[in-house]
Amino acid sequence: MAGGDSPAETKKGSSKTSKNSKESTLKQKSPAEFFAENKNIAGFDNPGKSLYTTVRELVENALDSSESISELPEVEVTIEEIGKSKFNSMIGLIDRERVDTKLYDDYETDKAREKRLVKEARASEIQAKNLASGKKNKEPGVSRVLKARGEASYYKVTCRDNGKGMPHDDIPNMFGRVLSGTKYGLKQTRGKFGLGAKMALIWSKMSTGLPIEISSSMKSQNYVTFCRLDIDIHRNIPHIHLHEKKANKEKWHGAEIQVVIEGNWTTYRSKILHYMRQMAVITPYAQFLFRFISETPEKNVTVKFTRRTDVMPPIPIETKHHPSSVDLLLIKRLVTDTSKKTLLQFLQNEFVNINKNLAARLIGEMGPDFSPGMAVKSVTSQQMVRIHQLFRQAKFDDPSGDCLSPAGEYNLRLGIIKELHPDMVATHSGSAQVFEGHPFIVEAGVSVGGRDVKQGINIFRFANRIPLLFEQGGDVVTRTALKRINWNSYKINQTQDKIGVFVSIVSTKIPFKGTGKEYIGDDISEIATAVKSAIQQCCIQLKSKIVKRLQAREQQERKRSLSRYIPDATGAVYEVLKQMTEEHTKKRKRYKEEETAMLEKVSKLIITKETLKEKLAEHVEQVDYEMALEYATQSGVSEEPRENIYLQQLNPNHSNFIDLHSPTFVFRLIL
Amino acid sequence: MADKKKPKRTKEDKDEDLPFKSILESDEAILKLLKSYISSSLTAAGSSGASSSSSSKPLTLADLSLSSSCREVADLSLSSVQTEIETVIVQIARSILAGDGFSFSVPSRAASNQLYVPELDRIVLKDKSTLRPFASVSSVRKTTITTRILALIHQLCLRNIHVTKRDLFYTDVKLFQDQTQSDAVLDDVSCMLGCTRSSLNVIAAEKGVVVGRLIFSDNGDMIDCTKMGMGGKAIPPNIDRVGDMQSDAMFILLVEKDAAYIRLAEDRFYNRFPCIIVTAKGQPDVATRLFLRKMKMELKLPVLALVDSDPYGLKILSVYGCGSKNMSYDSANLTTPDIKWLGIRPSDLDKYKIPEQCRLPMTEQDIKTGKDMLEEDFVKKNPGWVEELNLMVKTKQKAEIQALSSFGFQYLSEVYLPLKLQQQDWL
Repeated sequence: MAGGDSPAETKKGSSKTSKNSKESTLKQKSPAEFFAENKNIAGFDNPGKSLYTTVRELVENALDSSESISELPEVEVTIEEIGKSKFNSMIGLIDRERVDTKLYDDYETDKAREKRLVKEARASEIQAKNLASGKKNKEPGVSRVLKARGEASYYKVTCRDNGKGMPHDDIPNMFGRVLSGTKYGLKQTRGKFGLGAKMALIWSKMSTGLPIEISSSMKSQNYVTFCRLDIDIHRNIPHIHLHEKKANKEKWHGAEIQVVIEGNWTTYRSKILHYMRQMAVITPYAQFLFRFISETPEKNVTVKFTRRTDVMPPIPIETKHHPSSVDLLLIKRLVTDTSKKTLLQFLQNEFVNINKNLAARLIGEMGPDFSPGMAVKSVTSQQMVRIHQLFRQAKFDDPSGDCLSPAGEYNLRLGIIKELHPDMVATHSGSAQVFEGHPFIVEAGVSVGGRDVKQGINIFRFANRIPLLFEQGGDVVTRTALKRINWNSYKINQTQDKIGVFVSIVSTKIPFKGTGKEYIGDDISEIATAVKSAIQQCCIQLKSKIVKRLQAREQQERKRSLSRYIPDATGAVYEVLKQMTEEHTKKRKRYKEEETAMLEKVSKLIITKETLKEKLAEHVEQVDYEMALEYATQSGVSEEPRENIYLQQLNPNHSNFIDLHSPTFVFRLIL
Repeated sequence: MADKKKPKRTKEDKDEDLPFKSILESDEAILKLLKSYISSSLTAAGSSGASSSSSSKPLTLADLSLSSSCREVADLSLSSVQTEIETVIVQIARSILAGDGFSFSVPSRAASNQLYVPELDRIVLKDKSTLRPFASVSSVRKTTITTRILALIHQLCLRNIHVTKRDLFYTDVKLFQDQTQSDAVLDDVSCMLGCTRSSLNVIAAEKGVVVGRLIFSDNGDMIDCTKMGMGGKAIPPNIDRVGDMQSDAMFILLVEKDAAYIRLAEDRFYNRFPCIIVTAKGQPDVATRLFLRKMKMELKLPVLALVDSDPYGLKILSVYGCGSKNMSYDSANLTTPDIKWLGIRPSDLDKYKIPEQCRLPMTEQDIKTGKDMLEEDFVKKNPGWVEELNLMVKTKQKAEIQALSSFGFQYLSEVYLPLKLQQQDWL
């Protein structure tokens, strides 16, 4: 995949460092160029994945933006399919009919057509036969028209939110310059690369050449910024087509981003929908509206994920680095950036878990070259290595998890109930733990049963509150759930039950694996243990519920299952009695007195099989009654699973209520 | 036999392909060594005479003042079994008629109810019982099956016939569902009535075989186990048929596996070194255990065991020696004291230079079993065994008896066993 218009000559040039070249052939590569050429690391491997990644980047940006101003997010995503002719008209290209049909890859030769016709005839014959025999016809195999190479499909992706919006003047640089952001503190963030919409813009530039359109308004502004721009990949600067202010009639604030890209809806449809659904699980306080508009209306999709709560997790706080997590480069940068004068102040202020006392001790340990009062800017690179080594070896307190923003047990639970409607759900939130100086929190939920859930274990993974969909196999959550949890011991059937396993990990640094940052490795024992114990905690909660349910079922079926064995048991007893009676009457064996009394009754048919049966049935009846009574007193009032309901907030502007008062309640009519 | 063997051996190998062959002395020398060992062990037993015989023979549970009382069963005559069953049934009938339903009190055979008694060197059953009421969902099935089995055994008693466990199962497949259920209840019943399983007239299919210098009577017919062909004589399922044991063997060789047994039988190992060879083809059944005990008790021969070098080999050894947990109520009749572990021991792997490709790595399960066994009392009592087992767990290697075949199929009978005997290398 040599990037469309990313220059091939750059590569050539750099490989051929001949002296006779006209100018310096060693070209500097702009960050935008680098990402254009390595788009797979940012999740733009192919058109389908690119469509998916574009959607997720836009959605995650939107959520971040709304949360940053503590607004309950409302996100609208629209994907509009654009046919070839429409696309051509958009870029001002006139449709051209094929003249030389044999030139094209999808040209059907005579032989191939013959084959196809025969096949189709046979298919219709079978269909007719099935119809005649009254068999239910399976979906007739729609002859899949293979999409010819080079025939791309284009999509207009629009994402609108109610977030912070962007300052009018910053918009071009925010989109048109890769890595122009200044976010370099340490913070739990959704984005994986901090590229966000820029990568989508590069992709649109590469695949369609169409510019991106941005509308934005901030809360204090009375206008809407509209900006149309694209990016100059080589120079890594924005290329502005239009940048203007419009009237803001609806007092809207937020951003709307529209980009036209090449994509593939057919292959990534389910991934995108899964993504939206899982996002709704982990963000139940947000409202999502997802729409897919196709050229053929019957393929349209509209999904609305409604809000179920207005409790938002706190915004993650930016924190300082933990000494055991920094590398040499980072120390260098911190030294350059710091505003502190002395080494002591630097250590004390630029890191967590180093107080003045500890800083002094650390400096003492570094050796005679260091002193608390020395200027931090005078620290040489060699000395930095010493600092780094000491950081690695010294013991520091673990960083606290206060800077993290987990979804919260409440939200996770709501999300699961809202989207899966399970029969049972349990959630657990672990305490903060530490891996290589970065705090992390594992939250888990386990559900049983539900709508649209497959049998067996369904795994939902979240990292920093975004769903992970790819490369499930190697993930720590998958491995743990499938291999290290003994589901049987919690009365859960691993293959028969519909099990949902939800694990959300938040951290200031998620240790992703793989190029696409799509999974968390299984080799980190701290995380693996935390995941396992979180899932187990959920299972323990579920077990008691399941056991209760089994008991309830046993209650209902007890009488029947007991009565089933009455004939067998009494039959066996009676058989022996009869034999004994025979022995007794033939005087082959002498019995004790009380035994003979009974045997005589048997021979006189006072005791028969039937009497035994009746008496045992009576006993069963009585026991059943007693146990039912006991069960009822023990479990108290029948406990139907209570479900939380979420009531939409009333519009506070509405205040003309009519209250009907009674001594015990108020009845309010809402007009 | 012996002359047939000799020319074969001399032409086959000139002390080069079979390792350790050179150390091997002549058969006569080995036999002499063995004889002296046996006579010395016999005299040792004789010298401590009164004390040892009195302590080994009549020492029973009753003699020991154990803190917890234990349960043991005895052989009962058919009529007394019948009476026992009838008493139980009449009690049940009375209870039903009184409107109280009924329940059995069944001795628990769970691991927590087992006790290893070092003085006896076997596992015994403690006296904990569980109540099995009819009117409970969890026990109604077992209770019904128990009643049914009682009635069936009552019939056997009346007619005085034997049936197999399989027969018993097929009398009511619908109720029993699978044979493990009726088998388990059968053990419960014998435990409950306080009699051995053989006295219930229910037998298991023949599994064990015996070959070698042994003559005994089976239901009146005299059997000479040297003249039973290659396969040997199947061990009779009910031991009461067996009597009049005679032998000129010097020891009993207990073999874990069929393959090694066939090798030894075909090579007529028992003619070279007079012995009796027994196998139960894996986990031993009741009949083989009873038979081995009878041989040991009547013939007073040392028992040498040849098992795989893995935790299961030792486990099988322990079942012969101390009894299984499942049938600990009858361990007095089923166990054979003083079995020597001849091989293949973990230390033999290096001693006999068994090549790497014939050794298998132990699985995690194996290692866990091995470690668990180290905690078992019957292993702990023998320091030599502990050492060997520790070695096994440490090296994480196991080997089957067949690993010796890497030196030639007959290495087992030609070199390994004679050498072991010569060195009296058993624990």
